[in-house]
Amino acid sequence: MSHDDHGHGHHELTFWEKYVFSVDHKVIGLQYLITSFIFLLVGFGLMGLMRWQLAFPGTPIPFFGHLFPADLAPNGVMSGEFYNALGAMHGTIMVFLGVVPLAVGAYGNYVLPLQIGAPDMAFPRMNMMSYWTYLPGGILMLSSFLMPGGAAQSGWTSYPPLSIINPGQTMWLLSMVILITSSLLGAINFLVTTINMRAPGMSLWRMPVFCWAQFVTSVLLLLAFPPLEAASVLQLMDRVFHTSFYMPKDLVILGKAYMGSGGGQPLLWQHLFWFLAHPEVYVLVLPPMGIVAEIIANNTRKPLHGYKTLVFSMIAIGVMSFMVWAHHMFISGMSPALGNFFLVTTMIISVPSVAILTCLIFSLKGGSIRYNLPMAYALAFLPLFGIGGLTGLPLGLTVTDIYLHDTYYVIGHFHFVVVTGSIIALMGGTYYWFPKWYGRKMNDTLGWIHFWGTTTSMTGIFLPMLFMGLAGASRRLYDPTAQLHNLPVQGWNVVSTISAYCLGVFQLPFIYNFFNSMWRGEKTPENPWQATTLEWACPSPPPHGNFEKTPVVYRGPYEYSVPGRKTDFWMQTDKN
Amino acid sequence: MAKNNNNHDEHRPDVGMYVKVFGALMVLTLVTVAISKVHLPRPQAIGLGLFVACIKASLVGALFMHLWGENKLIHNALYITVACGAIMILPMIDLAMVAHRITSPADVASQHPHEGGEEGHANSVTETIELPASAAAPAAAAKKPAKKAH
Amino acid sequence: MSQTYDPTEFMGNADTHSGVTNAKLGVWLFLASEIMLFATLFTSYIVLRMVSTSWPWGWDALNVPLATLNTVILISSSVTIVMAYAKAYDKNKSGFQLWMAATVLLSLGFLVVKAFEYGHEFALGIGPHTSVFYAIYFTMTGLHGIHILGGIAVNGGLLYMSTQKEHWEHPLFLGRVEGAGLYWHFVDIVWIFLFPALYLL
Repeated sequence: MSHDDHGHGHHELTFWEKYVFSVDHKVIGLQYLITSFIFLLVGFGLMGLMRWQLAFPGTPIPFFGHLFPADLAPNGVMSGEFYNALGAMHGTIMVFLGVVPLAVGAYGNYVLPLQIGAPDMAFPRMNMMSYWTYLPGGILMLSSFLMPGGAAQSGWTSYPPLSIINPGQTMWLLSMVILITSSLLGAINFLVTTINMRAPGMSLWRMPVFCWAQFVTSVLLLLAFPPLEAASVLQLMDRVFHTSFYMPKDLVILGKAYMGSGGGQPLLWQHLFWFLAHPEVYVLVLPPMGIVAEIIANNTRKPLHGYKTLVFSMIAIGVMSFMVWAHHMFISGMSPALGNFFLVTTMIISVPSVAILTCLIFSLKGGSIRYNLPMAYALAFLPLFGIGGLTGLPLGLTVTDIYLHDTYYVIGHFHFVVVTGSIIALMGGTYYWFPKWYGRKMNDTLGWIHFWGTTTSMTGIFLPMLFMGLAGASRRLYDPTAQLHNLPVQGWNVVSTISAYCLGVFQLPFIYNFFNSMWRGEKTPENPWQATTLEWACPSPPPHGNFEKTPVVYRGPYEYSVPGRKTDFWMQTDKN
Repeated sequence: MAKNNNNHDEHRPDVGMYVKVFGALMVLTLVTVAISKVHLPRPQAIGLGLFVACIKASLVGALFMHLWGENKLIHNALYITVACGAIMILPMIDLAMVAHRITSPADVASQHPHEGGEEGHANSVTETIELPASAAAPAAAAKKPAKKAH
Repeated sequence: MSQTYDPTEFMGNADTHSGVTNAKLGVWLFLASEIMLFATLFTSYIVLRMVSTSWPWGWDALNVPLATLNTVILISSSVTIVMAYAKAYDKNKSGFQLWMAATVLLSLGFLVVKAFEYGHEFALGIGPHTSVFYAIYFTMTGLHGIHILGGIAVNGGLLYMSTQKEHWEHPLFLGRVEGAGLYWHFVDIVWIFLFPALYLL
């Protein structure tokens, strides 16, 4: 794998080259898919443990309680440190090992080259490397649970000075450096592929919205991740070499003076972390918006409303996302003038987000709506992501954020956008593109059970969090009953927990459906959804090289219901 | 499948120019070191040093990296990157301005050596809140130990 | 699905929408991310220096003569690598190998001088933990040094590849040399700013 074999042309690939270290974007995409689903389940499991403690604080965890060592859960009752570790790792795993690899690594890798008519990514071997840094990085991240001191316990945000003195953080930082490398390799690949490898006739303005979403996302990953990498290096230096980048002078911890030289700034980490982490949340949301756009266009049998608005809004979100980060830090002590600056930029960035949602909703008007499974998920995305976006507004306004910061309101807000938003859309994408990956459909009955169970459970988990937050319940609180003002709303914790366990149960039909349909699903033709975009103009699954000959693109991506035509869709590559 | 390995975009090298740039870079390096030995006041030293560094970096970038006459796409990508970096740096300056509010009391004292007096002063870490009149006596007593800690 | 193919099939398209080859565009995007990486470190340096109550004069705290020597070495290596590119452009294999070997040797020289510098400081008990100034100094020069190591690996790799006929004659080889040069010049530019920032100001 480390040398070119261009000289002698083709040779039959070994098992390792074909299935393990494959350089084919489709195989890599499926590797990312399965791996990220597994990590999502792991993150979900961690949350399941936390939710028990939140609903029934101080009681032993059923079934698993006695399996944990005494320092984590004495007598089966979760300790505070274990709770913190679960919280930090849940966030980290879901964001960096789950949603982003799924949205970008899986869907982006598989679908983007097909949709632009390319034979593969621009750098197939680098693509393989990006997966094979993601997987070891993820395993390293998880292995921190088994290290002395346990996993990272300072929140996924890792604020110093706590993160400098807490256990588990070093492994978190090392894993992040590896994972960031994987992301950067992927981002470079996506950008060069989109810029250089489009089929003839595929101008930028004929690309599907999904490709635009991946393009903007890759720009965000490319430019925003290196600052976190640098910040993580500084934090590693603080932990391992006892530098004082983030440790202020005269720090006293538990009665003892900290041994470092002092002179550092804890807020420096906060700025650098959020400089990445804010664009990161748009990385979480833009590809799923792209998926929803594709599904809606296909299942309304009409062009999307406002294609150019959608694209310009995504670009505007990308640009503005670099200028809003300190809204996560409004109460950190920054000068009010700076707070006002970030308030204004945050309000501005809500405009393109609303524009995108509006275009998607207006796309439904006058359409011949087909209520199949992908469409169900796309439709569910609209109001649920809407709630997520709207609940962000009081957080973006400095004055209300003073009250709401670090309460459950924030947790409710971001879970609405990422879980009922991004993850719902990604699930819809699975049902939508499964026929392309495997040439078979997923079972509809199981799918509908999954859909209704999932959407209801998710709402049951996160809606109560908004109420609890408004009541003042603090986040990252191991025992919610420790705050007197939480007692009236403690019942909502039970509702959330039960909903969470229901959500887990409703994923079982999905998992079974996925694997069963791979081999025994109903076989589908090349273009079962009668779609217009290029990924449907090749066999399912596509062979190596994707298209028999380089496709030529004659029109835009959403030519549905064109008057005078026999069929209600006009494939981009059909000459007539 | 596309197999267009025959289109090249590499720049034609100009060895004479490379040698001249090398000479310029060496001279500018010596200039930088010489300036620093003069021990100018800090702001001027930093300004001048950065200015010379920018000239050297521009020579390397424009001529060795062939940015001069390069494709517009590369230029645009770099403009966006530099803008992104600038956005990062600017609010950090605010951090530097307010940092004294969150550093140690000892630092605050050394930065404000002449500030004293009964009332808590703005931006002091040990600022005490004025309590209502009925609690005046305990408040006054509470203030005294705090000031001792300076 | 029969999977018999050569991944380099799709590479090197200058006849593309953009007019830039995949490799060159890829290298520049990589450099964009590196610019952000070092910009963050410089930003941290600026912030930490602005809030500090005292900051040592570079001449007192560090070995300026050695660093000046290193600056000369690194700039020279930038020239030698661009000369190597010029030779590769003219398909002059021995010329390329000579200038590329010179680049690698100069880079190793940089690291040797750096090792002397660090060794002297460690012998005095000075390390990253000593103060914020030294923390920044060791971290930034250390990370820069790791980039130099990466460059040595790439340049050495190209030097080795030039001895293999199939690589030297590959149509993409010149593009690879240019890409390696771009990376190396970037490393040089970082040092051009790092040297005055840490040692002289």
